[in-house]
Amino acid sequence: MNLSLKKHSVLPGFGPTLGYTVFYLSLIVLIPLSALIFKTAGLTWGEFVATVTAPRVVASYRVTFGAALLAAAVNAVFGVLVAWVLVRYRFPGKRLFDALVDLPFALPTAVAGITLATVYSGGGWIGRYLEPHGIKVAYTPLGILVAMVFIGLPFVVRTVQPVLEELDAEIEEAAACLGANRWQTFSRVLFPTLLPSLLTGFALAFARAVGEYGSIIFIAGNMPMVSEITPLLIITKLEQYDFAGATAIASVMLLASFIVLLTVNLLQKWSRRFAE
Amino acid sequence: MHVTGALKIKKGQKGGGGLAEPALVRWLLIAVALAFLGLFLVVPLAAVFTQALDKGVDAYFAALREPDALSAIKLTLLTAAISVPLNLIFGVVAAWAISKFDFPGKSFLITLIDLPFSVSPVISGLIYVLLFGLQGWAGPWLSAHDIKILFAVPGIVLATIFVTFPFVARELIPLMEAQGKDEEEAAMVLGASGLQTFFRVTFPNIRWGVLYGVILCNARAMGEFGAVSVVSGHVRGYTNTIPLHVEILYNEYNYAAAFAVASLLALLALVTLVVKTVAEWKIQEETM
Amino acid sequence: MGGRKTRPYNNRVKGTDMSIEIVSVSKNFGQFAALDNVSLTVPSGELVALLGPSGSGKTTLLRIIAGLETPDGGKILFNGEEATDRHVRERQVGFVFQHYALFRHMTVFDNVAFGLTVKPRKERPGKAGIRDKVHELLRLIQLENLADRYPSQLSGGQRQRVALARALAVEPQVLLLDEPFGALDAKVRVELRRWLRRLHDEIHVTSVFVTHDQEEALEVADRIVVMNGGRIEQEGTPGEVYDRPATPFVFNFLGNVNLFHGRVHNGLARLGGMELASPEHAATTDSPAVGYVRSHDIEVERLPSDSSAVAAEVRHVHTVGPLVRVELLLSESGETVEAELSRDVADRLRLKTGETVFARPRKLKVFAGDYQI
Repeated sequence: MNLSLKKHSVLPGFGPTLGYTVFYLSLIVLIPLSALIFKTAGLTWGEFVATVTAPRVVASYRVTFGAALLAAAVNAVFGVLVAWVLVRYRFPGKRLFDALVDLPFALPTAVAGITLATVYSGGGWIGRYLEPHGIKVAYTPLGILVAMVFIGLPFVVRTVQPVLEELDAEIEEAAACLGANRWQTFSRVLFPTLLPSLLTGFALAFARAVGEYGSIIFIAGNMPMVSEITPLLIITKLEQYDFAGATAIASVMLLASFIVLLTVNLLQKWSRRFAE
Repeated sequence: MHVTGALKIKKGQKGGGGLAEPALVRWLLIAVALAFLGLFLVVPLAAVFTQALDKGVDAYFAALREPDALSAIKLTLLTAAISVPLNLIFGVVAAWAISKFDFPGKSFLITLIDLPFSVSPVISGLIYVLLFGLQGWAGPWLSAHDIKILFAVPGIVLATIFVTFPFVARELIPLMEAQGKDEEEAAMVLGASGLQTFFRVTFPNIRWGVLYGVILCNARAMGEFGAVSVVSGHVRGYTNTIPLHVEILYNEYNYAAAFAVASLLALLALVTLVVKTVAEWKIQEETM
Repeated sequence: MGGRKTRPYNNRVKGTDMSIEIVSVSKNFGQFAALDNVSLTVPSGELVALLGPSGSGKTTLLRIIAGLETPDGGKILFNGEEATDRHVRERQVGFVFQHYALFRHMTVFDNVAFGLTVKPRKERPGKAGIRDKVHELLRLIQLENLADRYPSQLSGGQRQRVALARALAVEPQVLLLDEPFGALDAKVRVELRRWLRRLHDEIHVTSVFVTHDQEEALEVADRIVVMNGGRIEQEGTPGEVYDRPATPFVFNFLGNVNLFHGRVHNGLARLGGMELASPEHAATTDSPAVGYVRSHDIEVERLPSDSSAVAAEVRHVHTVGPLVRVELLLSESGETVEAELSRDVADRLRLKTGETVFARPRKLKVFAGDYQI
């Protein structure tokens, strides 16, 4: 590999644009992120392990990762359903609903948080129908799940939808000609094609839910050991000026998001394995 | 990570004829999907505006005219006015370098650009505390020179730039890669300079993609809560953005005022969705 | 098309002298040698075809002439002047891209005008000047009434002509076309290539076009350069490369060909049961050899007229339009050959599947050695 690769193109500006890209990326992202890693490296291994495995911290992992996994699962099921309905069927208001799917991307998390908390509280629009049945959502771990489903909702829909749109009708026609019924066609032909994008959407929704803060803290109740999420714990440590503790926990979360990111990249490679 | 909100290029309706599900199944699926969307999207959206007007129109506007609210609005606009153009310039520059040239490490670079999306907002704030806080790298020097970054406007702007960093770039990179460089080469052969080529040939082809990226970047810049919350210090009337102001009002049980201010952000979200949808149509039209 | 009465291009200096010399040009993409020490001269005012299969380096060579790629080694001379390092903007070439690369957000008019409007203010014609020039070119390509359309509203053939007009607007010294008809329907393709030939006869600008279609090259070009694996196999007029192919590759690439395997010894070739003189191999002793015969150079006879005719069994007879293709199994060697007969010859012979006839090559070229294609 020589560095005169830009010779392949007569278009100008390779040096300056790539230079600026790397400069700005380093300034805004890489240097600040490396601060986290260096700060963590300042801890001894013993201190680090003690901090990140303290019972309250472990409980917060359980709440955060558990709820995020469940929320991603809910979104996987309903995401495929919503994508299917939006791509395949005609019904009034379809375009409106299609546009609305992105609301969780556009609505600031704090607004989502206070709204969900209000709607699902005992006197709220939805809470008042659940409370009599003994289902408490707001200020319980269930509230965390609701908030995570909300913010993760667009991911599966938006990863599965384009794949479904691109699917060649001929594939289904071929399956039908070979005698498959509708369900067989879906489960044996369509679903395997959708699976990589579904898993990608699942992983993205999961990653987003794990890191989420704004929409959750209003509805969660934030009881230590019960409904306290890890990002909140980081902030609590910061407010107690426990920078080392906050950094240690943050580095565990960062590692988790890197693993998810890596998984997503592998999934996308895998999904392209049949591409021409 | 190249899927979130990525441009959707749609094809015509498919299926039908003997390949459609029975009507009953079809309507059942539609009903379940819409119930899900209604429960999780429509109800909360309606609730924001209902709650905002709970105490009447006068109380609504009073909440918006209150000085702390006004200063929060001002700070939010300022933050967006700085961070969005910076990320726009970066996005266009990075997309040019990545989509028009081949170089080793390209896909790694794209992954790095996407990085801020996979970092928790709280961590995004934390890293600036570690850099500029009194315990941090630059903290002692900054405090010796009486420069305030953390718990001040610069910190809020920096954290916002970080969380909105990838928006424009990630919209433009796939779009410009799909468009290839034939048109640019044609312009060069016809004698256009680099800047002429960009402004007369490249930019008209990506303008809707730029708008798309900018509007999403702006929505996030104005609405960011977690990262800003960590670096702001919550000084009322000074370092509060709109989302932080909403939080304070809500925690003071001033619900009507909290939702009144929140409704501004909800309106922004609706405008964002409309512009985004229009931009998608336009991009789709032009890609065909 | 046709029917042009005006000579809309006559304000340019007719037949501007511009020859292109390519001297020992090489180009690698990573490990792949796209061009391997290629030298070529394009005489002024000629229409030259670069013909070859995909991966033969023809498009790379065209892009190097245009200045869109930089060669790793070698020189490009325009009119004897070194132009290797001249930027694409200063080369004054017109380039027609394979997929046209029309600016999709500009009308036909604006596309054609683009090259004029980006000229430095001093050289730029006035608004009226640009308008006249563009309309003149639109007349030339017979699309004057579509000036306000966008590329997406045009057919493939129309886009192709707009791309050509856009390239010609800046009065290039050289016109380069990359697979100019590749993306068109068979019928439009034939019409357009005849039109291009006529256009070239009118404006005489030195032109090079890339194609993988031998018929196109044979019909349109003054000279054909056959390329393969980054090298030039042969160059010459269409007649020369078709009638006197220099290598088995050229033989194979231009037209249908039959192979007769055998050996050659002291000027005598034994190929697929035939025995014939091969004077150009008088000095060759007992070497493997392959005889190449075009399908239309195989005669089918009821009775052998001389010693070069060999017995063969008729396997299939297909009538394809004006031609009849006969698949023959040579009795002695077991090789299959295809003969192309005209309808009346075939009607006279009244061939039936399974019967034995005699195949006689009218013209055969022997290549000695282990040629592999």
